[in-house]
Amino acid sequence: MTKTQPSGGQAHPDDETMLAELDRMIDDFDPPPAGLVERIQFAIALEDLDIEVARWEHGDALAGVRGGDPGTITFTVNDLTVMINLTRIGENNRIDGWLVPAGEHSVEVRVAEFGSSATTSDEGGRFVLDAVPRGTTQIIVQLDGPPARTVVTPTVLL
Amino acid sequence: MVTDVRTAEADPPWEGLHGSERYAVCLHAARTGNRRALDTLVEDLTPLVWHVARGNGLPRAVAEDVVQTVWLALISKMNDVSEPKALASWLITTTRREANRVRGKGSAQLALTDEMAETLPSTQPQPEDEALRVDRDDRLWRAFAGLTQRCQALLRLTVLAGRAEYRLVAEAMRMPHGSIGPTRARCLNTLRERLDTEGGGG
Repeated sequence: MTKTQPSGGQAHPDDETMLAELDRMIDDFDPPPAGLVERIQFAIALEDLDIEVARWEHGDALAGVRGGDPGTITFTVNDLTVMINLTRIGENNRIDGWLVPAGEHSVEVRVAEFGSSATTSDEGGRFVLDAVPRGTTQIIVQLDGPPARTVVTPTVLL
Repeated sequence: MVTDVRTAEADPPWEGLHGSERYAVCLHAARTGNRRALDTLVEDLTPLVWHVARGNGLPRAVAEDVVQTVWLALISKMNDVSEPKALASWLITTTRREANRVRGKGSAQLALTDEMAETLPSTQPQPEDEALRVDRDDRLWRAFAGLTQRCQALLRLTVLAGRAEYRLVAEAMRMPHGSIGPTRARCLNTLRERLDTEGGGG
């Protein structure tokens, strides 16, 4: 039996009302972050779709420590670790990176709306990119192999 | 008149389609290298992936990375999704797996309530009716944030079911189809109780 009394003033909204309210609220109170769709579209706009996805090693992020000085950021996939350290220089970032296991591999840094810069890591796996514009940033590492592999990271705002 | 040939381009094949049909057509097109199809999928389905990640107890910043990882995983495995019509289901499953993976590495206990409280809008002067509604919404959201993670996930997916497919809720929660109703009713009852105790009546 459904009671057809006028809505409003009910201390106990029925299931449908509550779900409708949650439906209305969920996008207001917890929407996907602004620009997330665009950042994803940027991240997947890759020439080569045969990729391995490196994951951001969060650790501290789950404890709520994030933002401000990003310090060292670590990404891993299978046996490969990509570490980057940032130094803010004027409007740009200097990126000091380190690949483990070490080796000479090409490294590309894509920044949304700024194109990309590329370099090659040295025998020790180290690479440096000066004057990288700040913004939504993605790192792509090409491992010559065999087998050749392309490792990409999610974008991070640097 | 030949003003702009490019705007005369035919509508994409997924135009006018909805739900799983639309996703399947987009995925087929994306496999042949159609970027627009891929972008359309990201636009249509990112809210679903987002709410699944959040419903699995991830803080917003972590959920954002997980959502990206899931999409990157999709493009790297685009040809492995054996049933294109089940794309939404694949995304939900992959998101849950990623969420569990990330959670397993961090602290076991998430400060869910605090974290969610941060998403509450700051108080600003409002016309009275609006203020009452906002106040009621605040209380409902706080009560919601205090539910168990499983209840939050189920209710989130339930309201999203209108946007995805009801069947997916059962799959994503790994629940027998018939048990969603009773479980959801219990979650909603708890939500009502929390509203009562925390709000001092309606």
